[in-house]
Parts: sequence; C-alpha cells; structure tokens
Amino acid sequence: MTAATQAPPAPTVVDRVRSVRVASWATAALLVVAVVAAIALQPNLLTPYGVASTFATFLPLVLVAVAQAIVVIGGGLDLSAGAIVALSSVVAVQVMRGEDGLAAVGLAAAVGTGVACGMLNGLVVSRLRLQPLIATFASASIFSGLALLVLPTPGGTVPAILTGTFRQAIATVPMSVLLVVAVALGWLVLRRTRVLRHIRATGGDPAAAYASLVPVQTSQFASYVLSGAISGLAGLAVLGNAGSGDPFIGGDLALGSVAAVVVGGIALRGGIGSPIGAIAGAIILALSSTILFSIGLPTSWRALAAGVVVILALALSALGAPRRRR
Amino acid sequence: MTVTSPLVRLSGVHKRYGGVQALRDASLTAAGGEVHGLLGPNGSGKSTLGKVLAGSVRPDAAEIVLAGESVRIGSPRAAARLGVAAVYQQLSLVPDLSVGQNLVLGSEPGRLGFLSDRAAARRVAPVLERLTPALGDVRFDDAVRDLAPGQQQLVEIGKALLREPRVLILDEATASLHRDQVALVFDIVRELREGGAAILFVSHRLDEITELCDRATILRSGVTVAETSVPDTTPDEIVRLMVGDVQQVEREHRDAAGGPVRLRVRGLAGGALHGVDLDARGGEIVGLGGLQGQGQSELLLALFGAIAAAGDVEVDGEPVRLASPRSAARRGIALVPGDRGTQGTLPARPIQENLAIASIAGRARVGVLSTRREREAAQSMVDALAIKIGSLADPISSLSGGNAQKVVFGKWLLTEPSVVLLDDPTKGVDVGAKAEIYRIVRGLAEQGATVVINSSEDRELVTVCDRVLVLFEGAVRATLVGDEITEERLVQAALRIGEGTQGAATGEDAA
Ligand SMILES: Nc1ncnc2c1ncn2[C@@H]1O[C@H](COP(=O)(O)OP(=O)(O)OP(=O)(O)O)[C@@H](O)[C@H]1O
Ligand SMILES: [Mg+2]
Repeated sequence: MTAATQAPPAPTVVDRVRSVRVASWATAALLVVAVVAAIALQPNLLTPYGVASTFATFLPLVLVAVAQAIVVIGGGLDLSAGAIVALSSVVAVQVMRGEDGLAAVGLAAAVGTGVACGMLNGLVVSRLRLQPLIATFASASIFSGLALLVLPTPGGTVPAILTGTFRQAIATVPMSVLLVVAVALGWLVLRRTRVLRHIRATGGDPAAAYASLVPVQTSQFASYVLSGAISGLAGLAVLGNAGSGDPFIGGDLALGSVAAVVVGGIALRGGIGSPIGAIAGAIILALSSTILFSIGLPTSWRALAAGVVVILALALSALGAPRRRR
Repeated sequence: MTVTSPLVRLSGVHKRYGGVQALRDASLTAAGGEVHGLLGPNGSGKSTLGKVLAGSVRPDAAEIVLAGESVRIGSPRAAARLGVAAVYQQLSLVPDLSVGQNLVLGSEPGRLGFLSDRAAARRVAPVLERLTPALGDVRFDDAVRDLAPGQQQLVEIGKALLREPRVLILDEATASLHRDQVALVFDIVRELREGGAAILFVSHRLDEITELCDRATILRSGVTVAETSVPDTTPDEIVRLMVGDVQQVEREHRDAAGGPVRLRVRGLAGGALHGVDLDARGGEIVGLGGLQGQGQSELLLALFGAIAAAGDVEVDGEPVRLASPRSAARRGIALVPGDRGTQGTLPARPIQENLAIASIAGRARVGVLSTRREREAAQSMVDALAIKIGSLADPISSLSGGNAQKVVFGKWLLTEPSVVLLDDPTKGVDVGAKAEIYRIVRGLAEQGATVVINSSEDRELVTVCDRVLVLFEGAVRATLVGDEITEERLVQAALRIGEGTQGAATGEDAA
C-alpha cells in the first residue's frame, strides 16, 4: 500500500518469510495433536498434580510469549526477553531475601526491572531507530551481564509464600492453570486500550499510522515497556517454579517465545495476530518438549523440536490456505 | 480576490531528498471557499508540497501562514490541530485494521485509555452513510485489505472528512475512482467549499480541474511557475503551462479486420466473470468499457493467470494454461496492473531491478545475468518513457506516483509481449506522459501486438481503441466499433445495459 517514506530496503525473500502467517485453525489443530500425544505418552499428565506442575512449567514461556507477541504485533522484535526474565528474577530474589513479608516488594522489583529494561529497548528502537533485532540482541547481553552482577551463582531462597502459592489450587483448579487463564483475560482487557490499537497500527504500516496521527514512536516505546513488564512477571513465575534464583535462566526463552509467536499465528512483519495465539503456541512448544522427554530424547533436542513445530505449523497453513491473488 | 486575507499561504518551500530537489521555492495561496487546483507533471512536487502542509514531510525551509497567522507544522498531529487534513496519494490506511478502526485511527473515542467501539461507530456513521452511494455496502467491521482500490480510496477520503477540516488536501483522490464515485466526491468538495474550507485538489484529469477548480497553482520541477483563474483559462493553456507544448494525441482508429485472430477467449468464467467471449486480432487495440466493477479488471487478471478462472484461451491458436502469471508470460502475455502499489512493484528494490525483473529470462545467457545489459535495458525504458528518477539504483519508493506507474509499464514493455493487457495504465500519469504512453501503445499494436485496455477514463478509450467491449456483470454485452466510440456512446451503453434495456449499441461481438 503506502510506499513507506522511511521503509528500510529489505530483501524480498525476507519480506515474504516475515509475512507468512500460521492460520488459527492450524494452531488449534497442533494444540489438539500436542495435547493428545502428550497425554497418550504420559497418562499421569491428567492427574491434578500433573496438570498443576505442567502448567507451572509452562507459565514463564506463556508470559514471555505474550510479551513477545505485543512487540512483534507492534512491528518489532525482542531478543532480550529471556535476559529480562533472568535479570528481574535475580533482582527479586535478592530483594526478598526469602522473607514472606517482602514478597510484594519482590513482585514490584521484578516488574520494575522489566519495565526499566523495556524502556531501554524502547528508547533505543524508537528514538535512535536501531533495528530491533540488533538493538535487543545487544541489550540482551547487557541484561545478562547485570544479572550475573546481581547474583553471580545460582542460589538464594524464594519466600515460601511464593512457591506455596504456586502449588495451591482454588476450588480444585491449580493455581498455575488459573494464572495462565488470567494472562489470557488480561490480554482481553489490554487489547481494548488505545495504546494497543496504536501499537497494532504502527506494526501494520508505520508510515500510514504516522500520517493518521498515531504517535508512532510512543507506541513503539510502549510496546517494549509493556513487554518488559510482562517479562518481569515471567521472572517471578520462574522463581515460583524453581524455588531459588539462577542468573543463567532464560537462555532459550527469547527464541522459544519467537517460535511460540509464529506458531500462534502472528506474522513477524507486524500488525496481525493475537497473544492468545501466542499462548497456544507456547503450550504447543512446551508440550512437544514434554513429549520428546517422555519418548526418551534428551532435552538438548528441544531446540530442534521447536524448529520442527514451527515448520509444521507453517506447512499446515500453506496447505489449507485458499489460492490467493497476489 | 476578496479583501479578506487568504486562508492558506505557503511560500519559499524547499525540500530535498538525497540528490533530488523536490521543491525549490514553491509557493501557493488559497482562500477559504475555494477549490484550488495543484497541477504539474509527474515528479513536479505536488505531493511533496501537500505533505509539507499536512505535516508528514518536514521541509528544509518553508513559511506557512494559516488564517493570517504564521505557523509551524512539525507533524500530522500538529496539522490536524490547525484544521488541516490530507488524503494521500499513497493511502494512509492500515490494511490490517477494519474500516471503522481506520476511520477513527489517531483520534479514537474512549475513556481512560479504553476504546469505545460504540462511540466510534456513532462517530463514523454519518460519514459512512454519506459515502454509501459510491462505497457500496461497506461496514464498520470490514477489513480494509479486502476492499477494492476505489473503496479504499473512499475510506481514506472519509477519514479526512471526519476531521472536519478547514483545509483539505486531495492528492489524486479521484485517480482510482469511477465516474459515479467521482461525482459524489465532487458533491462533498462543493459542500466543504460552501462551508468556507479551502480545498487543494491534485489531479491529472484535466476535465476534473476545469469542472471543479476555481483557481490553480502550477508546479514545474518543484517551482511554482504560474497561478491562474481556472474559468478564465482554456484547457490547452493549462496544459501548456504544465508541460510546455505537448502534441495532443488525436483519436485514431484503424481497421484491423484483416489480420488473423491473435487472442481468442471462450466462456471465461470464475469469480466476477460469467462467460466472457472475446476475439482480438494482431495489431488491434480493444477497450473494456461499462460501469465500474463489471469484471473488467478481473478479465485482465484472469487472462494473466493472476486470479483463478476457467475457460478456453488461445494465443495464436495455441491454448494457454491459466495457471500462473509465469505461464502467461511465457505465452507472450503481459499485464500492466492498475494497482501499482501491491501488484506492480517491489517498492524497496532498485528501479533498475524493478524494470528488468520481468524480462530476465530473455537477457540471461545460460542463466547468468549481465548487469550491464540489464542497466542498458532499464535505461532505455527510462528514456523512452521519460521517467523522472534520481538514479537507477534508487528504490521505487523514492519515485512520485506517476513515475512509479511508468516503471511498471516499462517493465512489461521490456518483455516484448504479443498480448498486452493494460489495467488503467495511465492512472496518475501526467498529460505529457499520457500522450507518450498512447503513442507507445499504438506502436505496440503497429508491430502486431494485441492490446486489451481497461480504463477508468472514457476519453482514454475513445483516444486509443479500435473497438470497445461493454461489460456488464462479468460478460460482454455490447460492442462499439470505430466511429461509434465516443464518450457519450460509452456512457449510454454502460447505463442502458445497467438498466436492463439491451441493445444500446450494435449487437454482439463483431469478430
Ligand atoms: N521519499 C522520497 N525519497 C526520495 N525522493 C522522493 C521521495 N518522495 C518524493 N521524491 C522525489 O521528489 C520529487 C517530487 O515528488 P512528488 O511525489 O512530490 O511529485 P508529484 O508532483 O506528486 O508527482 P505525481 O504526479 O507523479 O504524483 C520526485 O522527483 C520524487 O522522485
Ligand atoms: Mg503525487
């Protein structure tokens, strides 16, 4: 449509790949297949304990996938999401010192750290206009470095209230399931805001959005800040799971979240898709590594599995797509 | 003029893009209650000047006075606060959002950061309703990407109207519209004029200028060269002010009845097409007429294999598989699409590559490309079509609208096609280049090619066609031949068929 005035020259093949989009039925189909296969291979997944602990391990990836989805819909990319998770989790651990009374402070510290990281990313991308890929790749090493300064070796104790809450259930529904549902509901509220509409418009066509009075730079900035805040929450979820701090956590979360976003039907070129899809994508990816684990493949195959799932999702959509004129 | 000070005054506007001086000391003055034409050849800086006023381009220097006050317009938001709204030549719609979301984009109603769809629907309802006669059944929730180019253009206009501007810039807002739609836009513009607004109107269609504009400013190479009162200036003078002396292309119609049939179509159906029959001879220029959206574009796209359709198509007696543009191109079929934005170009790639891409196969030796020959071929088209470019290495996105269209045209000419399908080929092209394109089209026909042309301008069909097929609901319903092709007859034929009274023009397909 608009020959964007500041459109960066990009190779057409890359453009094509970026605009490929997984159909939502393909995401749904993969989700069903993954769930069925996982249950068939590991029947104890269905026990209350199984559901609770599976969802607990999903939660960080689900949150980071939502964080990534918001940035990608806004036309950006956040390769530092995993490092933000690590940094905010170790900051929270140090702040809480294992005391239940400081849990709320820990929550604030985690989210605050995420917001600060998001602001840095947002400033660099929207004001300095660096490519998101490069900018967040660089900031990822800054955040990882900081995480090591805050907590040089894995350790520290997480307040019992946090780990305990994580294992609780409300009316027999495990807390971890409720939290995933809460994330989805949170999105349903968020997407009705002006900020998110503007983020979507900016990702869809920045030049058109700018001409339509959308504050494009502010929207880009906001997408990274929001994303950072959610990654900060993911840091807390990691702590709740692990029971202690680890500065090296989250190494594969960034790429995992990008894969989840793609599997969830969000085009990397921006503007389309919904974090609900990304949540489904995260669950599909997490389940597929569960499946691999239960058939005896080592965890080091996880990256390969993620790649296979992404390709499968894209292939499925291509098969089902009606012939469209271009 | 009146004693009141003008509503808009732009002066000393300079803007440079890399090596291209888009504007140098351009100026423009328009009063409230005036439709002010902004004229000039492709690349003369009309859009750039409009964008300076709309705040989406920052000029190197400019003085802007609005209602007697000197203002600085640093962004589209600043322009909006001052009551300036623009309809951009390259539309400013976000295709992934719905019609309603686009209409209110940037000024969404809501509370505490939350959007109210109901308030938005209420706000856009009057504008959507006003546009309905031309827009058709388009709803608040429809996706913009699914609309036809003309409908998108109308949504873009609606977006500007919603701002209730006192200065409205219409940059080739009518180029992709058909007669009935243009009439509605004119009505709206006249209402705004009554209300005291100043409208800057950019168009390459001379009849629109003479019909609508009170005064006009004429740009050449980024400089304001004249300002005239339109009713007191003859169309010929306007053209001369714009492009100097162009030799107008006279209507010319040849009788190609002798040659063999080159393109033969039987029962082509699918989508908007319901059984099209067509025979065209080598050397013949066949036009597609009728009301808007009766399958003209679809016919061309189907022949090119770009949309799915079934039927028998032969070129020189050999059947053509309607599988893909590649198989069509291999049979010597070329299509110059009307929507250059999405179908015609790779916007971020260099001009040279865009010009050369379709004819690569003809130039490559055992699969190896020669950059030198590619450059020569591209340069020959730049010269032949007088395309105004900085360098062959610049991306298409740096070209003015009309020049981008010429690149699309040149790309297909380089393939030396035997059947040339033209879908509104001179949309947004200036009068001088239009004449040049008509000559090239005739030249192609004289060399034996068959040309099928769809146009939103009746005058274009009258000027170049040997025969015009009038389409209605996806089928050929009447044919005009030779001297029967006049603007009146075209309008009549289109309308009569639309009303159901057949036989306005001579019977069935003559060939
Ligand atoms: N973003 C850009 N980058 C580089 N050059 C540009 C850009 N926009 C416009 N130009 C150049 O500035 C000149 C004026 O362009 P402009 O679009 O204002 O012309 P125009 O009069 O609107 O032409 P048309 O009738 O074809 O729309 C052209 O030579 C064009 O190539
Ligand atoms: Mg223009």
